[in-house]
Amino acid sequence: MLGGVPATTLIETRALTKRFGRSTALDGLDLHVAEGEVHGFLGPNGAGKSTTIRVLLGLMRPTSGTASVFGLDPWAEAAQIHRDIAYVPGDVSLWPGLTGGEAIDLLASLRGGADAARRAELIEQFEFDPRKKARTYSKGNRQKVALIAAFARPARLYILDEPSSGLDPVMESVFRQQIERVRGEGATVLLSSHVLSEVEQLCDRVTIIREGRVVESGSLAQLRHLSRTSFRVAGIGDLAALAALTGVHAVTRVGDSVEFEVDADAIPAVLTAVAGQGATAVSAAPASLESLFLRHYSGPR
Amino acid sequence: MRGLGVVLASQARRDRWVLSYWVGGIALLGIGVASAITTQFADDGERASIIAIATANPAFLFLRGLPDGLSVGAVAFFQGFTFTAVLAGLMSTFLVVRHSRADEEAGRAELLGATPIARSTMLAATIALGVLANLALGVVLALAYIAGGLPAEGSVVAALAVGSVGIVFVAVAAVVAQAMPSGRGANGVAAALVVGAYLLRGIGDALGTPSDDLLRVTPSALSWFSPIGWGQATRPYSEPTLLPMLLSLGAFVALAGLALVLRSRRDLGSSLVPVRAGRPAARSGGRSALGLAWRLQRATVLGWTAGVVVLGGIAGGLGPVVAQAVAENDTLAALIARLVPGSTGDTADVFIAALLGIGGVLGAAAGVQAVLRLRAEEVEGRAELLLATPLSRARWMLATVIVASASVLIVGLALGLATGGVLARSSGEPADVLRYAGAALAHSPAALVFVSVTALAFAVTPRITIALGWGLLVIGLVLGQFGELLQLPEWVQAASPFFHSSAVPVVEFDGVAGAIMIAIAVFGVAAAAVALRRRDLTA
Repeated sequence: MLGGVPATTLIETRALTKRFGRSTALDGLDLHVAEGEVHGFLGPNGAGKSTTIRVLLGLMRPTSGTASVFGLDPWAEAAQIHRDIAYVPGDVSLWPGLTGGEAIDLLASLRGGADAARRAELIEQFEFDPRKKARTYSKGNRQKVALIAAFARPARLYILDEPSSGLDPVMESVFRQQIERVRGEGATVLLSSHVLSEVEQLCDRVTIIREGRVVESGSLAQLRHLSRTSFRVAGIGDLAALAALTGVHAVTRVGDSVEFEVDADAIPAVLTAVAGQGATAVSAAPASLESLFLRHYSGPR
Repeated sequence: MRGLGVVLASQARRDRWVLSYWVGGIALLGIGVASAITTQFADDGERASIIAIATANPAFLFLRGLPDGLSVGAVAFFQGFTFTAVLAGLMSTFLVVRHSRADEEAGRAELLGATPIARSTMLAATIALGVLANLALGVVLALAYIAGGLPAEGSVVAALAVGSVGIVFVAVAAVVAQAMPSGRGANGVAAALVVGAYLLRGIGDALGTPSDDLLRVTPSALSWFSPIGWGQATRPYSEPTLLPMLLSLGAFVALAGLALVLRSRRDLGSSLVPVRAGRPAARSGGRSALGLAWRLQRATVLGWTAGVVVLGGIAGGLGPVVAQAVAENDTLAALIARLVPGSTGDTADVFIAALLGIGGVLGAAAGVQAVLRLRAEEVEGRAELLLATPLSRARWMLATVIVASASVLIVGLALGLATGGVLARSSGEPADVLRYAGAALAHSPAALVFVSVTALAFAVTPRITIALGWGLLVIGLVLGQFGELLQLPEWVQAASPFFHSSAVPVVEFDGVAGAIMIAIAVFGVAAAAVALRRRDLTA
């Protein structure tokens, strides 16, 4: 893992394990989220993100390992820690007979009551009609109910499980503004998301999990450093010599150019070699987040 | 119809266990009643005495149906038919709503509706499944009656009569599902129509005319407005006729056709009863767990309350009529005095006490329904939303248990006030109102035990909460209605909390039994609160 654990840890799990019968959802997961950061929580479907979140909320008890939120055990002190948490589940299910406005007020009131001005502002920004019965809302509109209820009252920690799924791009930008706002107020956000641009824009650090374990954790800059840089070079004849260099991967010829990927620590050596082989044009691009995630999501285990 | 077979097969597969339990359970009751009559009432004289009591007392006519002669089969049919028909009706309505409105609400219908099948195909398959289920019920039930020792021909007609009631309610529920916007609402309305059919023929039968030899009763015209009345009119063990089933068949065809037309013409998700816009913000009552629990239960309580007010009106209105009929008929009065030594109880009171007992079960049903909602909240993900706030699990559950207990008391009180109010008008004694309100509430402690046991089931065995909640209530009801007849050992009958309720005003209220039941209920809820803290939220 990259990066030291910051001084004020808000969420910490150690060797967190959760089994359902024979299947293992979490397999020794270590997660650290520092106070004041927006922490991206990523992983393929079924990796254990929602299970982790449910353990952090005290809705499920770990099979083994420990979890702490605000330094408290979420299972034992669930109601206590919930005073400072706003939660948006990935699949929001509402009471069919209640209107959206009533559901927002119920959820916000259980946390101590909504800020009336903020509630009105959020309803306007999200272009939400609070008078309709929940059974008539689309997925995006149900999502808005949970988002408005979460942001209508300040919280110390926001736990958001794929919060922007179902939102249109305009609403998504409203959502991003809200994250920036609470970040500015010093709140901490745990954001599970598949929208890479959202993660790239919002998150200070990310943790990538797969099959119930952490496979990567750190700042985006650190993760980029870990990943490979793509090169496109013209004027090289000897592909075999290039491919033989340490740290060079995926060499392919494209027209009269060669494309390949280079590990970060091998870049100086590779640049020297490329210059020596008579390159006429060179372009290099940092690894896209997408390629980074694809590698972690679907690479060999 | 393209795709009908595939859809039908998938619906049947989804229902294979539920329907097996329904058919098996109803058949078990059938075989139990049949063999109880053939063994315990093998003697003509004994059968003559129960038929005479029944004929003389409209309370029996109301609750059980029409005596139709002295044969073993006729007595068994009289004892068991109407209740069995109600069960067949409920099996049918739940089946239809489960596959129509409930699926539409959950979004599953959209997935299937996007395949190349006609709009009404799913409903047609459901109706077909309902008919098949009732045919299966008929076959199994006929075998059960024959196995219980009843004559074969009559048993086939009797079983067909039960199935025909079920088939009518398949079509009734199909129409209701087009009208109501939610699965819960459709289930409530359709089940109320089943109970309404029972009550309607109850009034019709109670107002019927006894034959001169007091062996049979001809119902009044009212009974002909109820599908259960049509089934009863087949008279399987005396003069069997299938003619009344033409009414059932006609009603089925008309209603099923109407439902299919409605379905093929309306949008997916739309309903005849429209969904209106509501409040943009919650009122102060809608901002707490208790407020939410009440909000979710409100319509249910109103429904049950309306039902028991009707029942109370019947009890209060018919009670004096019954008493007068018996008093005017010297033969009847003498017969009752002779057959039931020491039965000094006012005939009207016996009738009323029996109906208030049924009211106790209805109150318990309202309470159990409230508690079961906790499970639906958990499965459908809303509990997760609530319990991620500072609301503790114990308080979440207690809010619902409080509302469930209030439902029990509201339903009981409404029944008592309606009964007493109607009686007070005829007797001129205002005190009757309070007297019968108290009598109705005498059944509440037993009902509260069911609320508590359901809460405990939810906390300890969440996955089978719904089966346990309703299952235990049905067992309690069957033990209460048939325990005596089936000659079950007293300890088995005593297992039902209703066994310990006092049939006020016929007997005095047993305060000790009431207090013990309330204590058990409180203990059960406390245990549930502790157990709920110890488990994961599960889907």
